[in-house]
Amino acid sequence: MQSVVIAGYARSPFHLANKGALAHVRPDDLAAQVIRGLISKTGVEPADIEDVVIGCSFPEGEQGFNVARLIALLADLPISVAGMTVNRFCGSSMSAIHYAMGQIAIGAGEVFVCGGVESMSRIPMGGYNPLPNPALMKKGNAYVSMGETAENVATKYQIGRAEQEAMAVESQHKAAAARDAGKLADEIVTIETKAGPVSEDGTIRPETTAEALAGLKPAFDAAGSVTAGTSSPLTDGASAVLVTTEEYARAHGLPILARIKSVAISGCAPETMGLGPILSSQKALERAGISAGDLDVVELNEAFASQALACIKDLGLDAAKVNIDGGAIAIGHPLGATGARIVGKAASLLKREGGKYALASQCIGGGQGIATVLEAVE
Amino acid sequence: MSQSITKVCVIGAGTMGAGIAAQVANAGVPVLLLDIVPKEGGNRNAVAEGAVAKMLKTEPAPFMSKSAAKLVETGNIEDHLEKVAECDWVIEAVIERLDIKQGLYARLEAVKREGTAVSSNTSTIPLAQLVDGRSDAFKRDFLITHFFNPPRYMRLLEIVTGPDTDAGVAAKVEQFADVAMGKTVVKAKDTPGFIANRIGTYWIQLGLNAAFDQGLSVELADAVAGKPMGVPKTGIFGLVDLVGIDLMPHLQASLTSTLPKDDPYHAIARSHPLIEKMIADGYTGRKGKGGFYRLNKEMGRRKETIDLATGEYRETIRAAGPSGKASRGDLRALVEIKGPIGEYAWAVLGGTLAYAASLIPSAADDVVAIDDAMKLGYNWKAGPFEMIDKLGAAWLAQRLESEGKPVPEILKVAGDRPFYRIENGVRQALALNGTYGDIKRPQGVLSLADVKLAGKPLLKNASAALWDIGDGVTALEFTGKMNALDGEVMKLIVEAIPLVASKYKALVVYTDADNFSAGANLGLAIFAVNIAAWSEIEKLVAGGQMAYKGLKYAPFPVVGAPAGMALGGGCEILLHCDAIQAHAELYMGLVECGVGLVPGWGGNGELLDRWQSNPMMPKGPMPAVAKVFETVSTASVSKSAAQAKEMLFLRADDAITMNRDRLLYDAKQKALSLVDGYKPREAPHFRLPGESGRTALSMAAEGFRKQGKATDYDMVVSDALATVLTGGEADLVDVVSEQELLKLEREAFMRLVRSPRSIARVEHMLETGKPLRN
Repeated sequence: MQSVVIAGYARSPFHLANKGALAHVRPDDLAAQVIRGLISKTGVEPADIEDVVIGCSFPEGEQGFNVARLIALLADLPISVAGMTVNRFCGSSMSAIHYAMGQIAIGAGEVFVCGGVESMSRIPMGGYNPLPNPALMKKGNAYVSMGETAENVATKYQIGRAEQEAMAVESQHKAAAARDAGKLADEIVTIETKAGPVSEDGTIRPETTAEALAGLKPAFDAAGSVTAGTSSPLTDGASAVLVTTEEYARAHGLPILARIKSVAISGCAPETMGLGPILSSQKALERAGISAGDLDVVELNEAFASQALACIKDLGLDAAKVNIDGGAIAIGHPLGATGARIVGKAASLLKREGGKYALASQCIGGGQGIATVLEAVE
Repeated sequence: MSQSITKVCVIGAGTMGAGIAAQVANAGVPVLLLDIVPKEGGNRNAVAEGAVAKMLKTEPAPFMSKSAAKLVETGNIEDHLEKVAECDWVIEAVIERLDIKQGLYARLEAVKREGTAVSSNTSTIPLAQLVDGRSDAFKRDFLITHFFNPPRYMRLLEIVTGPDTDAGVAAKVEQFADVAMGKTVVKAKDTPGFIANRIGTYWIQLGLNAAFDQGLSVELADAVAGKPMGVPKTGIFGLVDLVGIDLMPHLQASLTSTLPKDDPYHAIARSHPLIEKMIADGYTGRKGKGGFYRLNKEMGRRKETIDLATGEYRETIRAAGPSGKASRGDLRALVEIKGPIGEYAWAVLGGTLAYAASLIPSAADDVVAIDDAMKLGYNWKAGPFEMIDKLGAAWLAQRLESEGKPVPEILKVAGDRPFYRIENGVRQALALNGTYGDIKRPQGVLSLADVKLAGKPLLKNASAALWDIGDGVTALEFTGKMNALDGEVMKLIVEAIPLVASKYKALVVYTDADNFSAGANLGLAIFAVNIAAWSEIEKLVAGGQMAYKGLKYAPFPVVGAPAGMALGGGCEILLHCDAIQAHAELYMGLVECGVGLVPGWGGNGELLDRWQSNPMMPKGPMPAVAKVFETVSTASVSKSAAQAKEMLFLRADDAITMNRDRLLYDAKQKALSLVDGYKPREAPHFRLPGESGRTALSMAAEGFRKQGKATDYDMVVSDALATVLTGGEADLVDVVSEQELLKLEREAFMRLVRSPRSIARVEHMLETGKPLRN
């Protein structure tokens, strides 16, 4: 099989939905600026791009009309470059990467821009017209709320509130330290807004303490343990990676970050969707022929502290290697944009920190998990 | 002339200044709010900015909408005073110190345009002293505008002009304060305390003195000098707790130093050692550790009252105040009660009324000004002269005389005549010269009370009446308790429609009461429930739907003119009007879910139609449905007319009247403007999501239940509401008619009204006035 590499990664700053600096930015404009940034950063020849594949969880309103194609046009890509929107909720943009890899494998192109976008300010979670199937609703938990799943996982794994809060504090501190050390700057594309340029994340709360978190009310269940402080915030953001054959990247002198070793997708019970990464990661690791102990870098999306902790436990991950620059509790989780962020981040970290293997994995609403194993390129 | 004030500057961002600025902004007029540069910190506008930020968090809110807050521009008097040149009126509300005010005026004189009015919000300093040393031109532009706290909610504005004040400048300010800011202007003389605070302080001092002297408990004093006198039930001690006990010595010092030597106030101005000690210990009232009343948090928030004799707090005891007619406004009966109650009532009331009567003509020219000042500045139900009429002027004079007290001149003039009378259908007031004159309404003011004095209703029954308000316009008035709506109201509407259609041009729905309507008569409903008169209840629901739709499709324009509360069925009748002319203070909402019911008189469809036809709404069957569901299931009520517009209870072209007195006139003009070429609206059609949408709404409600924000029974009620709003069995591709939606509404209402838990909610609301969370 063709060797496929991540040859560049960029994202917008992430900001809190509704009150952050990106609330007034259209998602298509936001993603187009990120893609322009990625192209200028990597130096890839735009005419060589086969397709722009964009993940989005609620592709309607300003994210509608096959937004990927519109983003390609807004980014001034050549008219020959196509565009496709992918929806697998939170796994959308990781799926976009997997799709590109598959296309390369069947000889359907060698350069893909794979990204994701979500303006949770401008398109509500659930979309404007949520119309669940009443019969399916009665049958089970297909439409269970995300907060409820986080509570279910906390209960099932007996993960107490203090443990969740400790993780949240650590995530905030790691993200703040990375930002202060300038370690986030090279992945962020400055976004032009009506109120001026935005070049830093607005989500990180370095002042977070365990005491302050302990004072918060439960966010989803009055008797529960999950709070706003131990959940990823509603976020606006966009991300993108450049996916090419290794051959193309080398021939054009592109900055190769990592090789995609294996991928996997799996289903799980909707009411404990936060456990999705377990099976999908196990499958991807097996396909890569390695075990959790071989991993040097892990990007595990922190939709909620409870589910991230459960996954770390069941997968036997070394917590010190997980989310080195902080996770989604601190950085944010713009649903459709997270997959490309954590794959791009894992690839960048593998290069920065050294080591051989990295894993990027996340849970998906409705009960799924998705995983990507990366390998360092000599 | 109000157009001639297009920008206002307020200097001084304390509670009063900031509140006045907010009310200017509420009128839609830009306002510059300036204060000093703080001694510390880098932000030179911090004081004014901090005041605006604080107001955005204050309840009751000084701003009527968030957009009003954006009209306030903040700054400081060092860097921005020259901006006064852009303003047509400058209101000074700085600290009550003559030197500081005079210094500011000197600086203002250098930057203001000629003709820009300057007014002081002073409550104590005479105008003559304020303008001392200023140019003639400045004096022409200067006056006193004395607002009451909080400026948004207190309707009184005392205006004092000096001998040099230009009449045009004063008229410009008066017009703006009246029409734009909604204040009722009372013209006072340049005397200490003006009218309201001078009488109010006297009244408070009498009340405190008498309670101490007679050894009355605080609770009993407030039970006498409260509701039975037609003054707020806080009484005197409760009021002092509210405004701050520490304010009392300041007021006393100010009045004793400025009032003429022979003023009766000097004789009663006393300090009480207990009050001095309370202030010294931080017991300054509600803002301090407590006051005459307090909540003892160490004893489980126990309500406590101070014992005036010992100075110790003890558990509050409900005092047995006056009973019978003495408790219901018969003032003569009240003061003639034998024993402490009657003695206390007489000490407070007799003294206050005699004092008020003695202030004509020194503090005010006429009795109406004094009565208006006390009604609007202290929320008394009746002014001093209206109270004297209840006692009898001759009776009062005689009792004063028998006690060796001086009898005020105007009481002698009145003799055995009342201060107010009705002559040929017009209300008249007695003047100091002994003659009666008509009480004239300003241009743009129409009072239904005047209409009622002058004629007979076109239609009338136990709960509603129809009046001819001139120029072919009729007014539908509710007359029940709290303007409650019942079958009689619906009957009258049905009778009114053909009458108005054949003989008149338009109809206004209006009432003079503080509150437009608190909704359906729940007491009557619960009676019907108790005798299981289900078919009667269903008839009432259907009858209301028919009557309201009758108004909506009548061949003449119908304008709703609400003020205060417009809840439940009161909100629904407004939703059926062609247009609404609302008083700015409008508290409107569909609150039925709070009592375990759903709107039953067409409110669901009307609000749904407003949201569905709002161009700002995203497309599809759910957004409008979800919005209405959110609003109605949480029984959301607007906190102003501006907010009612944001909630789409009011349409974009519905208008707002700032001054309560002008509401009926404005509504009548609005109705007349719709007469030419009038066509009723067409019935809306709805595209509704059916069961899928109901499932989505129940998911959202379930989230609230899990968070502990909704009860189990809220789930049942909200599901009934969801069934109506999503069209029941409707499918996305079907069209639901207005009539079909009404049927769903009736069915949902009838299902809920039979539930014991809904009945428990209604009964609880009737008994306590508060919702039951079952």
